Amino acid sequence: MTLLVAATLVALQAPAQGLDPRLQRLDSISRPIVTALVDSARAVALPTEPLVQRALEGATKRATADRIVAAVRRLALDLSHARDALGPMTSPPELSAAAAALRAGAPPATLTELRRVRPESLTVPLAVLTDLVASGVPVDSAAGAVLALAARARDADLVEFRRAVERDIALGAPPASATAAAAAAAFAAATVQVNAGAKQQRPGRP
Amino acid sequence: MFEPDEELIGRVLRQLRRPVTVDASLDARVMEQVRRHPPRRAAGAAQAAWGWLTRPRTIRLSPLGALAIAAVFVAVVLGRPDRSSRSTAASGREFAFVVVAPRATTVSLVGDFNDWDAARTPMRRVRQDESVWAAVIPLTPGRYRYAFLVDGVRWLADPAAPAARDDEYGAPSSVVTVGGS
Repeated sequence: MTLLVAATLVALQAPAQGLDPRLQRLDSISRPIVTALVDSARAVALPTEPLVQRALEGATKRATADRIVAAVRRLALDLSHARDALGPMTSPPELSAAAAALRAGAPPATLTELRRVRPESLTVPLAVLTDLVASGVPVDSAAGAVLALAARARDADLVEFRRAVERDIALGAPPASATAAAAAAAFAAATVQVNAGAKQQRPGRP
Repeated sequence: MFEPDEELIGRVLRQLRRPVTVDASLDARVMEQVRRHPPRRAAGAAQAAWGWLTRPRTIRLSPLGALAIAAVFVAVVLGRPDRSSRSTAASGREFAFVVVAPRATTVSLVGDFNDWDAARTPMRRVRQDESVWAAVIPLTPGRYRYAFLVDGVRWLADPAAPAARDDEYGAPSSVVTVGGS
């Protein structure tokens, strides 16, 4: 009986003490804090892998403990806000992409609207939105274009749309104009069900 | 109610108390039959083990014991690291990463897909004595941060890919997004 009680206690404490072996790479200051953050995320059913990866990135880049903890804490908060915007059934890749979009400045309402208009995964639309903003496209223009395309365009079409925008910006077009032109072309392509990625047989490129 | 019949009981008792006569050679004949079947020790042990393993049993468990077993099971399942979102490399679409790094001795591809482990994905020169390095890895749908590590000390972002916007560590990273449709 004593053994059973002890086993129960150990089992109940196990999730809190279950240190991911990869976190051994962190320094002694950040490791317990990151472990606690990961445990807290797990307790509220947030994906923990993005947090682990963000901490490992810091360790590999020899960041200070303060920076690693701050980055992981901020990402955990972003993931929580992303789930608030997208709903509890959102997949971990979608949540990661949504967290990045929110960090880039996308309004939560845009994420909620994306969920409403697109039945498929939101990972790529959210990533395209984030990448466009990173390229200098105003958030409103990027959000409007992605929302317009998301209902019909496939992932490959959206990636091609992002490439077209970046190409035009590199050639000197204003980001908002480049977005509008590429969105019009992508919308036409999606309407006639042209899959921009279907011809690709070789390994893809970022 | 049952009324005992003393005469009947007496008859039964007398019958049971009658001496039974056994043939004097019975013991010898039984032992002779036993000796004709030699012992099968190995098969017997295996049979016994199989019988022990397959014999149905009734397991009695207290509610507390059942609770403890359930708790251990839940802890084992939930205590595992969550790798659902990044169990990448086993299967997925192949992606080629290319970087130009003149005078580099080694270049590694490091990112969310390999636990930011610089030793895991070394890049190769496309041709000898050239400065173009490449690596091809499978990726499942998702969004990944990554960078190139040159000679173990210098970080390079991928000029052909979107930059990671939230770069808290002071070294550049890029992002690659893998779609499913």
